[in-house]
Amino acid sequence: MGMAEHILLGIQAIFAGPAVLGIPLNILMVIGGLFFGIFIGATPGLAGPMAMAIALPILISIFGYEASALLPIVGFLLGIMKGATLGGAVPAILFNTPGTPDALMTTYDGYPMTQKGEARKALKAAHFASVSGDTISDIVLILCAPFLAVFVEAYLDLPEKSALIILSLTFIAAVMGTSISKGLVAIGLGLFVAFIGSGEDFYPRLSLGVDAIAGGFPIAAVVLGSLIIGEVLFAMLEARSQTQQQGKIKQIVLKVAGKLTLKDRLSLLAYILPSAFIGTVIGALPGIGSTLAATLGYSNGKRRHHLRRKEGEPAFGQGAVQGVASTEAANSAVSGANLIPVLSLGIPGNAAAIFLILAMETVDGLNPGPSVFRVPSEGINSEMVMAFGLFSLMILANLVNWLVGGQVMQLMSIMARVPRQILMPTVLLVTITSVYAQETSLYALICLLGFGLFGLFMRLTSIPILPFVIAYILGNILERTARQAFSSTGADPYFLFSSPTSILLMLSAVLIICIFTWKRHKK
Amino acid sequence: MKSFVLSAAIAAVTMLGTATGALAEWKPNGPIKLMIAFAAGGGADTIARAVGDELQKRHGWEIQPQQVTGGGGLKLAAAMKSEPSDGTTIGMAITESYGYNMVANPGAGITLADVTPLTTVAGFQMGVVAKTSKGWKTIDDVIAAAKAGETLRFGTMTPKLSDLAFLLSDANNLNLNIVEVKGGKAVMNGVNAGDLDLGFMAGIQAKGVASGDLVNLASALTVPLAQTPEAPLMMDRGVPFGADGYFLFAAPPGLDPAARKALTDAIIEVVSDPSTKAGGIIKKAFGGTSIIKGSDVEALLEADVKAAKELIKAAQ
Repeated sequence: MGMAEHILLGIQAIFAGPAVLGIPLNILMVIGGLFFGIFIGATPGLAGPMAMAIALPILISIFGYEASALLPIVGFLLGIMKGATLGGAVPAILFNTPGTPDALMTTYDGYPMTQKGEARKALKAAHFASVSGDTISDIVLILCAPFLAVFVEAYLDLPEKSALIILSLTFIAAVMGTSISKGLVAIGLGLFVAFIGSGEDFYPRLSLGVDAIAGGFPIAAVVLGSLIIGEVLFAMLEARSQTQQQGKIKQIVLKVAGKLTLKDRLSLLAYILPSAFIGTVIGALPGIGSTLAATLGYSNGKRRHHLRRKEGEPAFGQGAVQGVASTEAANSAVSGANLIPVLSLGIPGNAAAIFLILAMETVDGLNPGPSVFRVPSEGINSEMVMAFGLFSLMILANLVNWLVGGQVMQLMSIMARVPRQILMPTVLLVTITSVYAQETSLYALICLLGFGLFGLFMRLTSIPILPFVIAYILGNILERTARQAFSSTGADPYFLFSSPTSILLMLSAVLIICIFTWKRHKK
Repeated sequence: MKSFVLSAAIAAVTMLGTATGALAEWKPNGPIKLMIAFAAGGGADTIARAVGDELQKRHGWEIQPQQVTGGGGLKLAAAMKSEPSDGTTIGMAITESYGYNMVANPGAGITLADVTPLTTVAGFQMGVVAKTSKGWKTIDDVIAAAKAGETLRFGTMTPKLSDLAFLLSDANNLNLNIVEVKGGKAVMNGVNAGDLDLGFMAGIQAKGVASGDLVNLASALTVPLAQTPEAPLMMDRGVPFGADGYFLFAAPPGLDPAARKALTDAIIEVVSDPSTKAGGIIKKAFGGTSIIKGSDVEALLEADVKAAKELIKAAQ
């Protein structure tokens, strides 16, 4: 069967399975995820990856581990990812509080627009830009991921695959966080934790004879502990050090005056398209994330607006609708493209991708990596069908987002009024419940809290947490690939330098460290 | 007449009571922990969980599946040995866990005294497999290619299989690069992707062989493969050991005999019924069940231990 048949089967797959109220479960889950994501994004202090992390163990305990669970689980997570970026704009525009970190730039123009009574126009522009950026990014994903995967499969052997993972980890260490050395420390720590209790030998590695860690730490406890519990503890510490919450959120009346006409929409495309391009490129590179995309999209839009601004139009920072559109298109365009390295290489590029990859690895049916898009000479590659099923769900989510996302977004404005002192303990409780639902052991909860303290420590010492988690996820894959590369080259200790491609990849890793160190030193 | 009817009714009720009493003789005194030695979501995990679901459905026992992976099943063996022996803990591993893996790792402190084997459910269809596009028909073509100087990468998924691949290489004066990967699916992916030239597959190859994408070059068992009986035995190419193995349900040592019988019978009943999910998967992937229970499965494990000691010695 060729790729076209796989695409058709993928589309059919989303309609398969049970239906609720006549709507196929897979579709219902992605729509549910989308609305839940908007709700999360609209709540300051919560973020998409946080919701994905908490939802994953609960979804697994509901749907199980079998292949039939993949589309509903990953569909829901994709929905959250898409919805949260959109929802983040709501409090940014209405209350000058970014719902998610990447919506900071949205406050620069969104809030002044609200003050001028154009809140509705700003929200509509944010919705239009966000969904456009997301759709463009998804199209690039669908067109690129299969070809990149086929290329990797055809040209990269085991030594090159090992070198590619090393290069990705180095890149992540270099671009995330305040310093490269701290990034590398985080990567080292992630690999260290991944190597505890794992390995090929029968004897449990690095367990110090402690039976409890002989099988390694529960994955959910490590990831949710360091990412979510650490964040909650940090937020609690911060809240303690601050005096009362600054000023109560004012009542906002959305004035009907703020309308976004078709002409406005067309003129915004000149800002949305370049921002979507920036977001897509950044999303495809591991480790950079949507905050930088938003910053670059905003600065690019600002330059353009400065040159073309008409008399009487507000400048960027003073309530320009183009500012909102430039930011939202860029940060939303990251979400589709960040699946390119996930699906074609099995490498997560940001926090959202971590949970997608965890879901795919835990549930049967799709092992992210180059083999996903292999076209068999006969029969079906069920992984490719699943991948196209996910693409179909993403397109469907975009359609729903186009149709009703704007309305849902406005409804969620109420969430910005939830005080942090209620929100954080709730997140803590839900996270603990969620991990227990998957692991059903007290030991997992102890690990969760332990890694929560570890996450807090990392935040207090400014060691970036994401490189730690990504290295933890990739640690065993790196070890396995490297071991296999070592064996397949007849136990050649220099297997990482056994071909021109792997030499090039390793040299790039060293160069990245040198270039980024030099750049930061210069600054 | 009246008294006759009454006595007959009483007799019937008593007989019925006795019969159901015999059937429902044993009941667990709490939920049953089902330890699974395989990664969540894989084929073997699916079988274990499907058996658990069906046991719960048929007998009302509350089954709580939990993953205890790693160490080739030895982590499960270690965890299970200290569990209560009243039938509230069972586990699914492979016979190799209590054979080669146990012998190769004396430090784990596991012996056959630490387990009550219940029953095997399916046997491996272990073949040496390559892509058809390689042009090889049997293992002899591989031996010829390797002798002609081609560097070949041979995928395995357990240390025992790595030893067997080494013995094949050694007996035929070859220089095979043996690559141990994680699970049969990884071997298949490696072979398909061209990262490996050939490898052991325990049943997962059936679909690919049927479609003509893959070829069974040899049977690694002591008997021919069910799907391609014409493929030569690896034993006939200088490897005096077979890769025969089974999926095994087991319980902690000293299991109460009533519990052992009830659990064994219940598991066999589920896997032997092809209309159940577990039975269906076993039929599709392994051609049907392979049931060895009671004293026979104990003898099987003892024989495996003996063979493992000889294999380890031969591969040194």
